[in-house]
Amino acid sequence: MPNAILDPTGRTSHRAPAVLAKRPADLSGAVIGLLENTKKNAVEFLGELGRLLVERHNAAGTVLRTKTNFALPVSDELRDEFARDCAVVITGVGDCGSCSASAVADGVTFERAGVPAVVICSDAFRTTADAMAQRQGAAGYRYLTTPHPVAPLAPDQIRQRAEQLLPQVVEILIGQSTVEGSA
Amino acid sequence: MSSEPGAAPDPDEAQRAIEYCYARGWSDGLPLVPVSQPLLDEFLAQTGRDPDEVIGGLPHVGREVTVAIAAINAAMAGCRPEYFPVVLAAWDALRKDRAASGGGWQSTSGPAPLIVVNGPVRTELGINATGGVFGPGFRANATIARAIGLIVRNGLGIEPQVLEQATQGLPGRWSICIGENEEQSPWPPMAVDAGLPAGTSAVSAMLLRTAEFVDNRHTNDPEQLLWDFADTISRSGALIFRDTSVGIVFGPEHAQLLAGAGFSKADVQAWFVEHCGRTAADLHRAGKDGVNEKTVRYAAQSTAAETADGQFHRILPSAAAVPIAVAGARNAAMSMVVRVFGLWSGQSVAIAEVPVQEAAR
Repeated sequence: MPNAILDPTGRTSHRAPAVLAKRPADLSGAVIGLLENTKKNAVEFLGELGRLLVERHNAAGTVLRTKTNFALPVSDELRDEFARDCAVVITGVGDCGSCSASAVADGVTFERAGVPAVVICSDAFRTTADAMAQRQGAAGYRYLTTPHPVAPLAPDQIRQRAEQLLPQVVEILIGQSTVEGSA
Repeated sequence: MSSEPGAAPDPDEAQRAIEYCYARGWSDGLPLVPVSQPLLDEFLAQTGRDPDEVIGGLPHVGREVTVAIAAINAAMAGCRPEYFPVVLAAWDALRKDRAASGGGWQSTSGPAPLIVVNGPVRTELGINATGGVFGPGFRANATIARAIGLIVRNGLGIEPQVLEQATQGLPGRWSICIGENEEQSPWPPMAVDAGLPAGTSAVSAMLLRTAEFVDNRHTNDPEQLLWDFADTISRSGALIFRDTSVGIVFGPEHAQLLAGAGFSKADVQAWFVEHCGRTAADLHRAGKDGVNEKTVRYAAQSTAAETADGQFHRILPSAAAVPIAVAGARNAAMSMVVRVFGLWSGQSVAIAEVPVQEAAR
């Protein structure tokens, strides 16, 4: 009986399958949490989406917070603050190797905490975003993409991108609570 | 099919085992050593640590690396069992690097670990510190560095084009493990800079974006030599943030020239901190003259008048941003500027002794 060839794969940290948060019927009166990851144009992009949600969907206002380390998932303190103060959260913009993955991890974290979330990544990072969703127990987690790159865009281009994504943002925030294919 | 003692092993069986490892997706592209339990046991006998001890999970990627997993990967990389304490020390040293314990392995920069080994372990294990120190050609250097790469790939599950998003990567990733040439260095070794007692076998590690040579066999003037380094250190293409960090792996000749002129390591560091940087006009020309509140550079809309005053912007904030080692042969006056991704932790990790009862076997 020959020896087996040993498997070098690291241990999987236990993670229960993710369940998406219950969706509100609409965004009227909702406080929109915006979690920006310090990447260039992230504040502008999320801010514009927040502004549009207030203007066109009667959201009450926005709360903007910044991740201290874009490469790592959101802190428990920030997660709890958003869960306490906001009806929904938008996070991004994932436009690098580590921050795209961690933005998706944050989206799943918010869903687990009962807050509907929208994650926005550049479309260059779909593979890593999908891989992270799987690692987070949320294979097929739906997030939104915008064409790469985001960093060099001018303010009017950012507004245009936000405008384009708005219907999908609303759809995810008030849509059915399902884990399905990415946008 | 077991071979007779002393007989050549069965190459067909070996090839099947190698292909099995490829098929499982474990390889970095090169053949792996298939690992059996007896081989793993030999590695584990080299450490007093519990095989199940977790030595570096990344919670956000949902994976944990244990001592046993590290040992399997080190064995697959081609390490001999006695290298394993160096691999563990290198891993621990990298864990002290903020980027490596965060998102560094996933970065579009695709950084490579630089592993510097000090102390008697270099001669005990045949870790090259002299000619061709950046490789290839030396089993210990090649396989210790490769082991780290396999632990990241298989242990953490960070694979190229999936959770690893390197834009281009860089030549030498997972192959840069160097001994410091302490015997021909005029200065204390890196591990001593980090506070360990002289003569300690230890590993220092940091992440690099690249390594660039400085070939100056032209002058005996220390200031001229330092200016030649300053040019490479100060190139604008490498500047992303207001500050940067640049290490120097001096060849022995350059180090001895500087030391002979009275420069300590601290003097060299201070000289670079003072003299490395670019003028506002240079930075403007390259679109990197602005620095935002997050200290990221950007293309400011400076006017010609604003950038024409010759104002000089330093890029190295302190001596800690200029780690120095000495390695290579004393056969030509050349050195390597190593472009640090992030910042060296300033800490070295002592290599643990092999447990006595196991060593006596």
